[in-house]
Formats: sequence, structure tokens, C-alpha cells
Amino acid sequence: MKESRIQTYLRKLEHHLWMRGLADREDLAEVESHLLEAVELGLHQGLSLEEAETRALERFGSIKIVVSTFEKERKDVMQNILLAVAMLAGLFSAYVDSRPTWDDTGILAGGLLMISGFLTLLGHRKPWLIALAVGIWIPLHDIYLSHDFRLLLVLLFPLVGAYGGWLVRLGIRKTLHPA
Amino acid sequence: MIGEALKGHLDLLLLAILSEGPAHGYAVIESLRSKSSGTFDLPEGTIYPALHRLESQGLLCSSWSEDSARRKRIYQLTPKGQQTLTRRQEEWKKFSKAINATVGI
Repeated sequence: MKESRIQTYLRKLEHHLWMRGLADREDLAEVESHLLEAVELGLHQGLSLEEAETRALERFGSIKIVVSTFEKERKDVMQNILLAVAMLAGLFSAYVDSRPTWDDTGILAGGLLMISGFLTLLGHRKPWLIALAVGIWIPLHDIYLSHDFRLLLVLLFPLVGAYGGWLVRLGIRKTLHPA
Repeated sequence: MIGEALKGHLDLLLLAILSEGPAHGYAVIESLRSKSSGTFDLPEGTIYPALHRLESQGLLCSSWSEDSARRKRIYQLTPKGQQTLTRRQEEWKKFSKAINATVGI
């Protein structure tokens, strides 16, 4: 059976919200109820099903606009806490790295990778931001001292970790709540 | 232009509409559109996140109604929401009076 335009929209909206960790069954049920009511009203006004669906979706807004509004409005405290922890961990790593007695780069690189992964696994929705908050301090400090911009490559470790943790979280959520 | 200007005052408008009684999102949006004679015509999907935020701030509460053929989430002003509305209305009165006086309306 062919999927209606409303169903297609809802499926795509759920996917985009889910990718950002914003999908909520009640919110989606509310959107569905709204769209069906709008279609029903259109039908009562004499529109065809296709016209009613088109009008309902146009008035509701594109998926891009709706998802971005959900994202802006849902700046929850947890996101800020995780970001603050990332910055503190990054600053601490930079401090450790700057000590003359410290020369184990491997452990530090592994630490940046693990911390970033752990924080996105816990639920931060922006892996790039976590990677930056954790990993920017060491290259900043070293670039200030040596003017060697190749040190920005250090960011690769937190980036890999952050996106790794994010992917694991998506995988877990997909297993627990299959779409 | 109107959409951008409206965003800063959306909370006040939503609280004001819900001060007239509990309503579901669709009715809130219709009320917003009809009271403004179509001037406040934001994409409907952008109203829901604002309603959810107001709820998380304790200014609204919601419950699901099973009365009609379709389940609807009904929003209602809380006492804190009522207080906030009163305060925001006062602020708006002062603000609009100042703007009107300045632009010569």
C-alpha cells in the first residue's frame, strides 16, 4: 500500500529528529494529530485529498525548518553540562601536556579520544562541538609556543572519539527503539 | 520581517491565547492566525517546540485528551504561566507605548 504524503513527511521528520536525539513519541503523535486535523479540515472545505495534504504540509513548514526549531528550542541543561565537562577535560589535558615531565603522547591522544566518545555516548547531540571543546586546547597552546599549525591534527583524535561515541549511541537507540 | 519580529514575542502571544482556556496546538495556531487577521502566520510546525519549551519552564502543562476521534494534547496555563503573562503584558504595554510615542502613532 502506498504511503500517504503525511506519512512520508512524518517518517522523514522522525528520522531527522532521531538523528539529532530529539525524537519523542508524544511530540510526533502530536504532529501527526495536527496534520490529520488539517487534512480533515481541508476535505471539509471541499479540497481533494491531495490538495488538503499539500496545504497541510505547506502550512506546517518544511522538515528543515521544523527540525531546526525543535533543535533551537530544546537547549537542555544536560547539553551544557556535557559541554562544560568537555572543556574542563580538554583544559586539564592541555595542562598535563604542557608539563615538562609528561612525554606520553599516546596516552594523552587515547584520553582525548575516550573522553570525547564518552561524552557523545552520554547524549551530546553535536560531536564536532565536543571534539573541539576537548581537543582544541593542546594545539592552541602548542601553536602559541611553536607557531606550527600541523598540531591541529591532534583534533583528529577527539573527532574520531566523538563521532564514534555518537554512532554507538545511535546504534543503541536504534536497537532499543527500532523505527 | 513580521516573522522575525514575532519570534521575540511568541511566548507572550501563546500565553495570552491559552489564558482564554485550555486548547490543543492546532487551536492555538488557528487562534493566533485569526486574532491577527492572518498577520501572524508562522509555519505551524515551529509553534510546537515553543509550546514544549513553555511547558518545560513550568508556564504550561499538557495532557492528552481522548474525547474526540483523535488524541489531542491539550495545553493549559499554570499559575506560574499566569503570573508570567501578567508581567509580560505590563512590559508590553510600556514597550508599545514608548514605540508608538517615538514613531508618532
